[in-house]
Amino acid sequence: MRKRVSAIRSFIIFCGPTSLFFLTVILIPFLFGIYLTFTNWNGISATGFGFSGLDNYRVVIADKVFWKSFWLTLRFVFFTVLFTNTVAFFLAYALTSGVRGQNTLRAGFFTPNLVGGIILGLIWNFLFGNVFTFIGKSLGLDLLSISMLSKPETAFWALVIVSVWQYSGYMMVIYIAGFTNMPNDVMEAASIDGATKGKRLTKIIIPLMVPSFIICVFLTLQRSFMVYDVNLALTNGGPFKTTQLISMHVYEKAFLAQDFAVGQAEAVFLFLIVALVTITQLYFSKKLEAEA
Amino acid sequence: MKKGRILSMVLVIMMLSTLFGAAAVAESVEQITFLNSKGEIQAQLEEAAKVFNAENAGISVEIIPCPAGKSPFEVMSTMYNSGNAPTLAMVDAGDVVRLTEKFVPLNDENWVADAASGSLDSVTIDGNVYAFPFAVEGFGFIYNKQVLDEAFGGAFDPSTITTRAALQDAFDKVVASGKQALIITPMDWSLGAHMFSTMYLAIGQGDQAAYDALFSSLRAGTMDLAANPVFQGWLETFDLLREYNSAKADALSITYEKGPELLGKGDVGFWYMGNWAWPQIAEFDTADEAYGFVPYVLSDNADDYGNKDVVAFGSKYVALDGSQNTEAQQAAGKAFLNWLVYEASGQDTLVNKANLIPAFTNIELDIADPLGRSIVAHIADGTTIPAIDNFAVMPADHWSVVGASLQKYLAGYADAATLAQEIQDYWTTAK
Amino acid sequence: MKQKERIFLTLKTLLLSVLLLAYLVPFILVVINSLKPTREFLENPLALPQAINFSNFTIAFDKMNFISGLSNTVVITTVSVLLIALFSSMAAYLMVRTTWKITRILFFCMVSAMIIPFQALMIPLVRIYGSLGILNNQSTLIYMYLGFGAPMAVFIYHGFIKSVPLEIEEAAMIDGCSQVRTFFQIVFPLVKPISFTVLILNVLWIWNDFLLPSLVLIKPAQRTLPLSTFYFFGTYTVDYGLLMAGLLMTILPVIIIYLFLQKHIIQGVMQGSIK
Repeated sequence: MRKRVSAIRSFIIFCGPTSLFFLTVILIPFLFGIYLTFTNWNGISATGFGFSGLDNYRVVIADKVFWKSFWLTLRFVFFTVLFTNTVAFFLAYALTSGVRGQNTLRAGFFTPNLVGGIILGLIWNFLFGNVFTFIGKSLGLDLLSISMLSKPETAFWALVIVSVWQYSGYMMVIYIAGFTNMPNDVMEAASIDGATKGKRLTKIIIPLMVPSFIICVFLTLQRSFMVYDVNLALTNGGPFKTTQLISMHVYEKAFLAQDFAVGQAEAVFLFLIVALVTITQLYFSKKLEAEA
Repeated sequence: MKKGRILSMVLVIMMLSTLFGAAAVAESVEQITFLNSKGEIQAQLEEAAKVFNAENAGISVEIIPCPAGKSPFEVMSTMYNSGNAPTLAMVDAGDVVRLTEKFVPLNDENWVADAASGSLDSVTIDGNVYAFPFAVEGFGFIYNKQVLDEAFGGAFDPSTITTRAALQDAFDKVVASGKQALIITPMDWSLGAHMFSTMYLAIGQGDQAAYDALFSSLRAGTMDLAANPVFQGWLETFDLLREYNSAKADALSITYEKGPELLGKGDVGFWYMGNWAWPQIAEFDTADEAYGFVPYVLSDNADDYGNKDVVAFGSKYVALDGSQNTEAQQAAGKAFLNWLVYEASGQDTLVNKANLIPAFTNIELDIADPLGRSIVAHIADGTTIPAIDNFAVMPADHWSVVGASLQKYLAGYADAATLAQEIQDYWTTAK
Repeated sequence: MKQKERIFLTLKTLLLSVLLLAYLVPFILVVINSLKPTREFLENPLALPQAINFSNFTIAFDKMNFISGLSNTVVITTVSVLLIALFSSMAAYLMVRTTWKITRILFFCMVSAMIIPFQALMIPLVRIYGSLGILNNQSTLIYMYLGFGAPMAVFIYHGFIKSVPLEIEEAAMIDGCSQVRTFFQIVFPLVKPISFTVLILNVLWIWNDFLLPSLVLIKPAQRTLPLSTFYFFGTYTVDYGLLMAGLLMTILPVIIIYLFLQKHIIQGVMQGSIK
């Protein structure tokens, strides 16, 4: 009995605050949010709201704009994850091979991560809109003199470029950690055996780097699914709402079109997709790791 | 170790500046907030708040700007949800209707009697006045008189622009004189809320019942826009604009700032915008302040509805919150509104500082800017499309969605059929 | 052979330096243009300023209420990260040292919650905290950060504390030290390196966060730097020189700190990923 009391006491002291924060900020709002999707709450009315069954989900499924935004997001996530990790991996590879000033270089590539997405978006908005077009016009290059942000396809790539630029420094650091933890004797043995550089990379380094890949892909997946700041500050969804990623769509659905319940249903849908994708990724990568 | 010391000093300085920042807050006066949704006059309003606070010891007004690109309704819904409703909120007429349950009726205020005729119609609900008309605004094509005089080889008479052919002729003449015809700044609010609503106004022809019928048929999905002659005429004019747009090659990269620059410098003859743009045009003015409005013409028959008219409407209404502000705060809010209408410094703010056309007949200050004068002249001539409460029944995200569809059409990513279809589709699913 | 390798290495260094320069061009352009009047900017955004002129800075400093934004950000970030580190390390400690069902469930819930996107929480959060009337308050924002920051911090501490040998604690306990004292006198100092990681990761996040404060903080006087910069951009869209000065001032404090702490920050990010 006394032991139990002291156990409860230490739980309250050690885990109490964190449990409280977690419960009130994440768990309860999450569950309440799921509940809201079954109501017709409009966001303003103080008079409460009624139960509306699966209506909101039906609206979501029928909403063409939502699906467009959803596919756009998947495409965005795919390219961002792919390019970020490729760039980051090779940067890390180059910056662990003993180049001079490698610490300074590492620190330099990391810099974009110190600055928030809003600021980065504003900076690039100014670059795409004013600087690049200026260069294009003064050099007479048609391709550059039209702002990338004014065409749906190029605006999408502008978003990808900025995101890759933003994340690759961070992921580079994680890959560097992977490289430096790599057992030296393996590498030495390989070079003594006369393995070519290419072979060393594909046969030895990449398999050994699987744990780093898992972490980086997981992080980039998660971040790119939830991008909002850069989207808002760089394209604001434009031109004509063609680059509205899902987070922004949810936000506008709720706070602009005052469809709070539908917006929340879309958010829950987003959660299911993110959960599905990340869990699948983790499952398969763990399997891969076990085999490697 | 030296590094560490410098760093800790930086941190200490940061912390200290924080403390000073926090200590500067004083209480004991009635704190009220004013949500401003006219970003271009934020600085003037802040200035006005300072003057008002100095003249009224017991009250402190704080001006909260509504960020660019966000509708006032969007901001209001977050503020109400967070229990921080502003005391006074400058919103659009439709928002007043949507949020009536939150607002206090203002029937007993003195300014109700002094309000310009018609300016309270759209915010009068069941006989109660729910908001203060902040300004009268008008929009259409702003012309640079110097450019047009030169193109016409003599004095340009804006009243000759009453048909599409006349407008095109003016465009051609400007082009022939070596300038560009016009600039379209493709913001969703300009295209969606202003340009496109001219079309709704022309269908309804000033008759409230006709507007109601129009919007309910749009909502019901029984309206065939593409077959509507007014829509067709409107679109034909829009095609003309698209054709002559100086930014045709990259229509969507143009930002608002480009408009006043090109028009003021005389690089283009026309810019589609409203009288609120004067301060920005003035910065680039090369035409000796000679500017004015011509209408968005909808057909080739000068006598068709709307072809002689610019759109003028009671724009921006200030409502008083009654659900989250105390009686004392409400009284302070009322005092601020009265100050704007009846005190010399308040009137000065509206007319001289903020360049607005006041919606009150008791204010006799002369309007200094040419665009405001042009709108006032149109009102005096009766050549305006009357301000009815058409905006009140528009869904909150109409400007944003329709604006996007028009951008798409403007840049050549959609044809006329797609445009009409998208707008119809939007209406059937709108809240 | 040796010489060839050296040349190759130099070339590589050169190439990487050029690449880095390209990476940092956006920031460089911000610096250049913040010193120019708008007219000069419109003529050529790439040219160096004709005369060094800091007037953009003084105006932007005033108009965006820089001091208030900075101090709000400093307070919110500092308080949040310190509390996150404190409470999370305590929770993680108990989770590692006990095999109770409740701590295991809690840990599992927190780790799973890491994949909940913020968008799924923002509407209910606004609704719940709004109806309690405690939004528009910096303390509420800090409170929310404690919740949002907890899962990852607990996860990181959990991984680290697992590797801390039990013997020292046991010795202390036998000496009559209470659990709380043992934690603060023995465990907490031992986990210092990882605490630094937790602090850095959370500072990077909270300092730059936009969406949550934009929902919670409404009054201009309460705004954090990312918010005031964004609103500043909305209000003065025409004046590029001014805007660039505003951007630069927002970035500067972080860059200065980074110059001093870069090694630790990079180390911190590495540590955070390994655990």
